[in-house]
Amino acid sequence: MRRSPLFTGIAAITCLTLSLSGCAGGSTAGSGSSTPTVGSAPDLSSAAGPTSAESTPSDPTSSAGTPSGSNSTSAGDESATSSAPAGSGKACAGSIGFMGPITGSAAAIGGEQLHFAELAVKNFNAQNGSTYDVVQGDTQLDPGQASTVGQQFVSNDAILGVVGPAGSQEVDAIGPVYSQASLSFVSSSATATELTAGKYSSFFRTIPNDSVQGPTDATFIAEKLNAKNVVIVQEKTSYGQGLAASVGDALKAKGVTVNIVQVSKDQPDYSAVVTKVAADTDVVFATFQIAANTQVLATQLKQQGKQAAVFGSDGSFSADFKTPGGYVSSFAPDVKSIPSAAEVVKAYTSAYGDFATTYGPPTYVAAQAILQAAQRACQAGSSDRAAVLAQMKSTSITDSILGGTLTFTASGDVEGAKFYVFKIGTDGVPALVQ
Amino acid sequence: MEFFGQQLVNGLTLGSVYALIALGYTLIYGVLQLLNFAHGDVYMVGAFIGFFVMIGLGGPAAPMVPVWLMIVAMFLAAMLGSGILGVLIEQFAYRPLRNSPRIAPLISALGVSLFLQNAVLLLFGPRIRDYATTEYIPIGSGFSIGSIRLDPMRILVVVLSVILMFVLVRLVNRTRFGRGMRAVAFDREAAVMMGIDVNRVVVLTFFCASALAGAAGVMVGLVFFNVSNFMGFLAGLKGFTAAVVGGIGSVGGAMVGGLLIGLLEAFATGYLSANRPTRSPSSL
Repeated sequence: MRRSPLFTGIAAITCLTLSLSGCAGGSTAGSGSSTPTVGSAPDLSSAAGPTSAESTPSDPTSSAGTPSGSNSTSAGDESATSSAPAGSGKACAGSIGFMGPITGSAAAIGGEQLHFAELAVKNFNAQNGSTYDVVQGDTQLDPGQASTVGQQFVSNDAILGVVGPAGSQEVDAIGPVYSQASLSFVSSSATATELTAGKYSSFFRTIPNDSVQGPTDATFIAEKLNAKNVVIVQEKTSYGQGLAASVGDALKAKGVTVNIVQVSKDQPDYSAVVTKVAADTDVVFATFQIAANTQVLATQLKQQGKQAAVFGSDGSFSADFKTPGGYVSSFAPDVKSIPSAAEVVKAYTSAYGDFATTYGPPTYVAAQAILQAAQRACQAGSSDRAAVLAQMKSTSITDSILGGTLTFTASGDVEGAKFYVFKIGTDGVPALVQ
Repeated sequence: MEFFGQQLVNGLTLGSVYALIALGYTLIYGVLQLLNFAHGDVYMVGAFIGFFVMIGLGGPAAPMVPVWLMIVAMFLAAMLGSGILGVLIEQFAYRPLRNSPRIAPLISALGVSLFLQNAVLLLFGPRIRDYATTEYIPIGSGFSIGSIRLDPMRILVVVLSVILMFVLVRLVNRTRFGRGMRAVAFDREAAVMMGIDVNRVVVLTFFCASALAGAAGVMVGLVFFNVSNFMGFLAGLKGFTAAVVGGIGSVGGAMVGGLLIGLLEAFATGYLSANRPTRSPSSL
């Protein structure tokens, strides 16, 4: 029977929709120990603006594969941090899986995360004489891709622990599999509160969760900005939903009137949402994972003559959100101002160029945590995943590049974690205000 | 009433863009019975061409030429570049498959779509590019009717879309090329027998369709600021939906379909939950 092209088209587009972002990367997710096949060289652009965005392309393919093939970029031995365990005695080896959006709409974030993870491995190897390497897995911030990559990592026996994935929805996608395999995984950007509520026994994160971010942001909005009416623009992802609920509840508890509007992750235009923002709204709180979207929202508010201040969640902490007078919270301070991070920042910029978000440094710490656990397990005579997981629980990274000592709670959260609030100045650069 | 009016403006802007994309789908389908799923990515390439022309002319902060001239150059370069890209796609991805089963060029179209997305990623990196329109068209320019804001770029988008559609309709209905196009669409074999150069008609059709997509790309950049290598997929999907709603193959239908989808999106966001924008067009 001959099918009409229209039918065929609809069938094809349905297929494409079902595997939406998978189409772009196809089977790029690291197959075993190989590299993404898509030419993904994410270029880490400087924060200077679109005109300078073609700086320092790097080659992520150089880091995967055999242990000896990893980490051949510059940044000499002096960049090894003081936080790694001293002494070695035994040359340990193994692979660290990296899961992040190496391609796709969040590739700028994933690129920084990958490079920080690579730098952590390089520094650790230089200091300990070990030969750990990174296996890349491109998830494109998509739970479907994360699930596929996760299965590949589980079946790759060389992988002792995983850095990532980036998004909370992805953690949910692979959490049960990793927990069953006792494979430690440490996210540096998944903040949904329930992830560390006992669901996944091998999950850790190096950043605070939304139960910290929500009240921090809400308190700032209600008490420092004295807002009475707040509109929450909620991105329709598990990240956006969880955070909007957390901030909304905390604001309501403080007597603030809250109105939540939801938007799709891929929506290019928010003018219809902006039209819904009442003139007496004091603050618009945005839960986007892509900072450029928050910038569009802020500009369109101004275009329609709305005076509300825009407050972006941690997803908006990037040079792309640059509206003066805006606020943005972040799970990490600006590491460029932390003395203990100076060497790492210097090594990073000389190897990969500048970095524009706060997503990278916590990834460095996540990789450190796994490497240290793997090293301790190795030196104790066992380097299987269960041994690494057991060691993860006693992680203690002194002089962390995020400031202070990083340890995990029994549930996998960071001990004593806090959120930071920045105000964007007239030059478009955020300055710490809380 | 102001609320309704502002959503009308929002919807018309979005709808104009969708209409231009839908026209490309419909033109190519009309002539070749091919659903060109790479069309959304041609639109994305057009947006990037416009962006780099702007950068080449001094960037948003300090353009070297008058702003109007810069915008004209952005449109012309994007339309020309996208048009040529469309012709190349036809030449290399579709022409060799013209007599194959219809699923073959469709798969080829999906392949071209992925190729373009990733080629742009490889060439220009993953970063979202910002047209930064407000740096050369100050916020507050344009005018208001009551509390309804009419931003100059939105006016430009709607007016330019109408002009382009008008030119296209004239082209299809009143020119020798248009007659050839309609003849090929009606019966390709008969058109060949009547001495019409089918390849030339197909190439020109791809050029026109892709040039419209290029213009739509620049419009989106000017009005919504952000362009990225993934912007083409969803826009292409909506353009395709608009073309189907209007009756694929029908030029007038594509225009109406595009405007309908845009208005529906704006009003659904305004009057229903904002979950709807991506759901409502497909629910049609």
